[in-house]
Amino acid sequence: MTAWNDSAGGKRASAILKSRPFLTLAIVAAVWIVASFVSRGFGAYGHLRYLVELGAVIGLVAAGQTFVVIAGGIDLSVAAIVTVSAISLPLLSWQADPTGLVSILAVLVLTTIIGVINGLGVALLRVHPMIMTLAMATFLQGLLIIIAGGSAVTAENPLVHWLGNARPAGIPAGIILWIATSAVVLTVMHATPFGARIFAMGANPLAASLSGVPMTSTTLAVYGISGFTAGLAGVLVLGMNGQGYVGIGDPYLLASIAAVVLGGTSILGGLGTYAGTIPGAILLVTITALITVVNASPGWRSILFGSLILGLLLLSGREQARR
Amino acid sequence: MSIVPSAKSTGALYWPVQARRNIGVRSLFLVVLAFLIAYGVLFPGLFAASGFAKFTQSWFPLALVAMAQAILMLTGGISLAIGATVSLGAVIAATTMAGPFGVAGGAAAVALTGLGIGAATGFIVVKLRLPAIVVTLAGSFIIGGAALLILPRPGGAIPAWLSDLLAGDTPAAFVLLVVIVLLWKLYLATPLGLSLYAAGENPVGAYRSGVPVDAARVAAYAISGLLSTGAGLFVAAQTGSGDPVIGTAFTLNSIAAAVLGGIGFLGGQGTMRGALAGSLLLSLMISVMFFLGFTPVAQYVAQGLIIIGAVAIPQFRKV
Repeated sequence: MTAWNDSAGGKRASAILKSRPFLTLAIVAAVWIVASFVSRGFGAYGHLRYLVELGAVIGLVAAGQTFVVIAGGIDLSVAAIVTVSAISLPLLSWQADPTGLVSILAVLVLTTIIGVINGLGVALLRVHPMIMTLAMATFLQGLLIIIAGGSAVTAENPLVHWLGNARPAGIPAGIILWIATSAVVLTVMHATPFGARIFAMGANPLAASLSGVPMTSTTLAVYGISGFTAGLAGVLVLGMNGQGYVGIGDPYLLASIAAVVLGGTSILGGLGTYAGTIPGAILLVTITALITVVNASPGWRSILFGSLILGLLLLSGREQARR
Repeated sequence: MSIVPSAKSTGALYWPVQARRNIGVRSLFLVVLAFLIAYGVLFPGLFAASGFAKFTQSWFPLALVAMAQAILMLTGGISLAIGATVSLGAVIAATTMAGPFGVAGGAAAVALTGLGIGAATGFIVVKLRLPAIVVTLAGSFIIGGAALLILPRPGGAIPAWLSDLLAGDTPAAFVLLVVIVLLWKLYLATPLGLSLYAAGENPVGAYRSGVPVDAARVAAYAISGLLSTGAGLFVAAQTGSGDPVIGTAFTLNSIAAAVLGGIGFLGGQGTMRGALAGSLLLSLMISVMFFLGFTPVAQYVAQGLIIIGAVAIPQFRKV
């Protein structure tokens, strides 16, 4: 619907859209400044660095989610994939693999395959993305309990440990991983034919298909990417936590979708950028940290979190008028 | 003289129209029937009064949330807050019904809360033009938080006679369901109900033809909220107390039931009887797997596979 409304005021609309990431970034900066005046220690470098490190996990999950949402779908299985990654990594460790690199690669291949299966369901079986990924999440949830048996598993993987704890040049390795991933994601999204196809597919699937966009393979790729980044986030969260358990990925489903939408990407597809999702992810962890500072009961914390997201949506997430 | 034939012709039109609307869900009805037979074989008590009562009681809350989700999806909306709303309904019922206002006051509080939450959600989605999926996601935190505030841990009480009436050896759940379906039929005959499909299928066209699109959508959200808190009341009566997170699973199950029932995500496609059949299928599936001795874990796996299969197969036939 938005696609053809745009053509008239296209330039102005795109100018506003381009400013969305900056708007989100401005909100983050404002919240940080206000919070550091109100709460001592909030604005300390170490605390802010910690926030960004937490944001890296959301940011990684939300990277794949941004691709999927721009392509007109949604991935509700990311939380389950994060858990799969964090639980299967310790199980996929071999003696002959001292650095742990091989097992990480094996896990990433596994989660990418899970994503591609989502894509197969969406593209070939024509199951609605929400149902396909929801059913996948249900399926994985059962599988995980069979594999892990409900107990926590400890990672003995040196590379995973390094990712979660090392600080080369004072910057946590997780943040470096996020920056590297962001660079790749932004390049793929905005500077390759593949990126252009995703936007075309999300804006108007019929037109895209008639214009020669290979719908099936693009859909497979998009969900594959989402599986890959969710797997990467699982590796990182395992490194930061030290242990993997069933449910470790649960917070990241809502967080990834919220980060995407707060960053100005339209949930209807075809519009948006990962450049907005990045501050969106940081904004989310900032909100969570602020709510923890307030020291309220779980009920009030939940109400505050929901209200703040709703309030921020009013600032940045509005769909365009229908008529 | 002229009135009689015209009434006759509308009557003659009614059934063919209904039959055509059944085409999409005919295979679903067959699958449901097959599962019903399997269930009857595995559990012969189904045909006794108490077995039937128990069976309809396990289906009832799922049927309500499937209707709650379907009415939104028919208008092109969706709610990810249904589970939280069910929980809120349950805790309100469990804290007010044993109090000074009694069952009537408690039921009124549950109904008003549902209508209020639904109308507020609808207002935000429709009038402020925010995407429904994100609003209801944020809403699920707010509603779930409110449920935790009212009842931080499982507790409260439902008067025993109400539990016996709703969840005892009575067909009360089935009777209620029939009443709700009849009310739905009545609602479809009102101006707002008539606008429902139009608002979902082609909002711009409907708006230009003078259909109260926004009002129909806000009303759909309000009814959806009412059905969700009603399901919560029933769940509380079933367990005899309130639990602030008891509704969580209903969010996904409501979407699954509605989609199994042939309700489209784009609005205006599908029928409420389909959604009810979808919820019945889901409920039967869970019961049959339970009687076949599946572990809860294997149930997850099987449920995921069956949902994809059930949604995908009709798509294949269309191609």
